[in-house]
Amino acid sequence: MKTLARNRGQWVLLTFMLLWIGLLFVLPHLKLFYLSFVSRRGGEFTLANYLYFFHSPLYRKIFVRTAVFSTLVTLLTLVISFPVAFIITKVAGKHLKAMLLLAIILPYWVSELIQAFTWMVFFRETGVLSYLLRAIGLTHHNIEFLYHDSTIAVGLVYTSLLFMTIPIINSLDTLDDSLIEAAYDLGGNFWSTLREIIIPHAAPGMMVGSIMVFMLNLGNYVTVTLLGGKNSLWFTEIIYNQFIIRFNQNKGSAFSVILLTFSVLFVWIVLKITKQDLSEAM
Amino acid sequence: MSQEIDVALVHVTKKFGDLIAVNDVSFEIPKGSFFSILGPSGSGKTTLLRMIAGFEKPTSGDIYIGGQRVNDVPPNKRPCNMVFQRLALFPMMNVLDNVTFGLRRRGGISKAEMERRAKDALARVGLEGLEKRKIHQLSGGQQQRVALARSLVLEPTVLLLDEPLGSLDLKLRQSMKLELKHLQARTGTTFVYITHDQTIALAMSDTVAVINHGRIEQIAPPEELYRQPATHFVASFVGENNKLTNGKVVAFRQGGGVDVEIGGIRMAGRAGENLAVGDRVDLFIRPEMITLRPGRHDDGIVGKVSEINFDGSHSLVIVDLLESDRPLSLNVKVQHTENAPDVKVGEVVTLSWRWDAANAFHPVAQPRTEAEGLP
Repeated sequence: MKTLARNRGQWVLLTFMLLWIGLLFVLPHLKLFYLSFVSRRGGEFTLANYLYFFHSPLYRKIFVRTAVFSTLVTLLTLVISFPVAFIITKVAGKHLKAMLLLAIILPYWVSELIQAFTWMVFFRETGVLSYLLRAIGLTHHNIEFLYHDSTIAVGLVYTSLLFMTIPIINSLDTLDDSLIEAAYDLGGNFWSTLREIIIPHAAPGMMVGSIMVFMLNLGNYVTVTLLGGKNSLWFTEIIYNQFIIRFNQNKGSAFSVILLTFSVLFVWIVLKITKQDLSEAM
Repeated sequence: MSQEIDVALVHVTKKFGDLIAVNDVSFEIPKGSFFSILGPSGSGKTTLLRMIAGFEKPTSGDIYIGGQRVNDVPPNKRPCNMVFQRLALFPMMNVLDNVTFGLRRRGGISKAEMERRAKDALARVGLEGLEKRKIHQLSGGQQQRVALARSLVLEPTVLLLDEPLGSLDLKLRQSMKLELKHLQARTGTTFVYITHDQTIALAMSDTVAVINHGRIEQIAPPEELYRQPATHFVASFVGENNKLTNGKVVAFRQGGGVDVEIGGIRMAGRAGENLAVGDRVDLFIRPEMITLRPGRHDDGIVGKVSEINFDGSHSLVIVDLLESDRPLSLNVKVQHTENAPDVKVGEVVTLSWRWDAANAFHPVAQPRTEAEGLP
């Protein structure tokens, strides 16, 4: 009887989950997939939506730019997050640890939109950074810092820092300090210990963080558009234009499917290359 | 005889804030000896070992290894290696890579040579053929050996062992204990072993240092430690002991003995420290040093058997003293030899011991707790 009741409970929960995933994730994607293969007028089967992408050098370039940019930002986030995570888990005392964690989490209490607006206030021509530079006498004119690739990079790194740092903190937390001590005791120095002990141990966390951050960057719209302006040339902007401005759902769907397929493939290939197992990493 | 000294501590003190973990400790460890540091948890022994390894810096005092002052030498440059309590094997590497880790750090050794030395070290600890295994595929005892091989392959001047046998089950611990001792004898490396387990310290060591509350209580060979404890703490911590409290020194004997009156009974013992007539003392008597004879005799202490606990090779007989003015009892270990006395519960017996088998010390105040809770 007990197991029956428990089974029933499991089924209820499972049903909710299946409904959730089915209605909000699978169904829309099926629809998206379907739309991408039919013509805008008439609705017959066609590959034109996809061919349009592959025949357009502009769209191809924007796509490659988005992918490369996302990858670079992901690597940059990793490089910044790793020392932060290491300091939080292995160097800081109890109180400092809590403070640092809070400092990382606090900015996420406001939405990405507000974060982007804050950066705009900071970077724009009459903004904080420009003012500071004038105040210390480095320049005599206002400088426009917005609408540069580096500004987009700053915004993206900032919005994804948490998603990289937390998984790395989790994996470093399980690293027994005596392993680091043992490595030193056997003659290891900072670099060899980092390379042979710490990074291999933290690899799953670094992988999870990188996958999440890469996906977030690739699919980012708000930060990229606000900090990069009209010419941010991000692939999500192209999709947005097709759906909203051109009102071409079919091309928009095709572009979405391309982005989705690419990101899944990319993650799969990276996992293969680094010999990581997704389930293990998670 | 001038002996080469491998490790020397000179007035070493370590404070963590207000806490004194190690308090003015000095000792010398001769080359090639098996030296144990024995103490209860929180006594400062781990801090002591970590200072020798280089993970902690002494607040004051000097540490010498192989004649060199090493206070400012980081752990990766010291000629000593440590076997960690939880072994700290690298789970991301196989056995061979674990053992060659230290060699790879040295540089200038060919890969073939490294492999040869690693295999040699693994053979020494009896792990031939397991080079390619992952750490988690090994049993507890095998992991122990890998940890030993990983340190020994570097041919350190001193091998530090942080109670690595603690996590093994009893049988395995017994056999590893002997193996460690043989290994030490074969390699001639100086071993510094810290433990709270006195049976390990007594069985393996050439010399044992007993530490309590950050202070060295006694440094002596195991037998001396057992028979002639230098302090009240050593007498109560090392081995089983009967402890009779509230005694009073009434007379001196020739050769360092004292007569002590406890509960109205006169007993003989060795003066463990400087005593004067009239001093209050506790008397310690080893259960196996007490002779038990059935019946009432004039030349001993008369008691009644209240309990007999059979324990294989011997029995532990608990005897309540009949002539004392307050309830006192003594545990007596009776070996099951051919002519062992045959006693039963309720029988009257007479107990006696050689005066130098018992030790008298001033009672100590209740244990201070300043060092408790320390690693």
